[in-house]
Amino acid sequence: MSLSPVRAIVLRRLAAPRVLPVRAFSSAPFRAAEQSTAKPSTSPHKVETDGASRSASSLKDLGPGAAPLYQSPYAGGPSALDKAADLFFFTEIVKGMWITLENMFRPPYTIMYPFEKGPISPRFRGEHALRRYSNGEERCIACKLCEAICPALAITIESEAREDGSRRTTRYDIDMTKCIYCGLCQEACPVDAIVETSNYEYSTETREELLYNKEKLLANGDRMEPEIAANIMADHVYR
Amino acid sequence: MSNSLWRYVKNVQAMGFKQYIRAMWYIGDAKHGKLMGEDQFGNKYYENLNPEQETPGRQRWIDFTQHDFNASQVPPEWHAWLNHIRKDPPSSDFHLIQASRPKWIGPWRENLTGTRGAFKTYSTTKPKFFPWEPKVGQRGGPSASA
Repeated sequence: MSLSPVRAIVLRRLAAPRVLPVRAFSSAPFRAAEQSTAKPSTSPHKVETDGASRSASSLKDLGPGAAPLYQSPYAGGPSALDKAADLFFFTEIVKGMWITLENMFRPPYTIMYPFEKGPISPRFRGEHALRRYSNGEERCIACKLCEAICPALAITIESEAREDGSRRTTRYDIDMTKCIYCGLCQEACPVDAIVETSNYEYSTETREELLYNKEKLLANGDRMEPEIAANIMADHVYR
Repeated sequence: MSNSLWRYVKNVQAMGFKQYIRAMWYIGDAKHGKLMGEDQFGNKYYENLNPEQETPGRQRWIDFTQHDFNASQVPPEWHAWLNHIRKDPPSSDFHLIQASRPKWIGPWRENLTGTRGAFKTYSTTKPKFFPWEPKVGQRGGPSASA
């Protein structure tokens, strides 16, 4: 044989009969039918699971035309020469290094924040905002339902009559360090005034910056109104 | 062989050298896609929905205009798009257009924490408690004369 070892491996692999893995066949009844037609074999590659077919094949093995009872477990595998070639030509190391090389150019599954962001829902509960009507009138009517329902007691409201006689808040403070972002204030609000926007990028360096007052909340609403309105519109069919 | 190296080479070819250097400087990957729009600050938004070229979940991205970039530099219309809340970019999103731009809308500002523009809280009500201001009574009043 003047074949080089690598070529010998390739030829050997190509010439070897392909044994279908057992799990390729799905369910039990078809398995049994398939095995009864298949030629019985005692090679270690054959895996049998259910006892009935095993006993049937072992009965057949006892027949006159059966295969010998002992067969070398190395019979179907690569020869010693093949294995030596694999060893001395670093085949496996080359395969592994190729995978490494491929992954150097493969985009990672990591989402590269802040350039890319993970998907969030229109119901996302982030930074709070107080909304206005489209004519610019503030929505909050100082009913204090949000203050009452807030489980963390983060909201403080004081109200007074305005000059035109309507009841408005003079103080609407949310302690964002107390808030647990449960969204109950948003659900309690009868006029959709207090909402939790989908903004979550408001981290601060000092704790004092998180003690929001009414002006800050209204300013949040003024800036984010397009997004807030679109989120509410997207979700209104489920409410 | 996977198509990863091929994708990389093709993207570099499509982007051009200058854009490639910029992408490697900021995003760190040779990403190439369709320019979906630009916001008022000059941030550019890209999308590539081809699953062979971009991993699902990384299909939308932003090219910040500022070197000192920050996630809060994205205005709310594009924030909704970039976070995959809205399917369409604001230029073709009916609901965002309909809802956007009331007259009273405020300009977007990034998160100014750590700067002099950071929010400092204050009370919005009139004070209810006052420090004690001592008042001296008139000497030689009616009790003194009695």
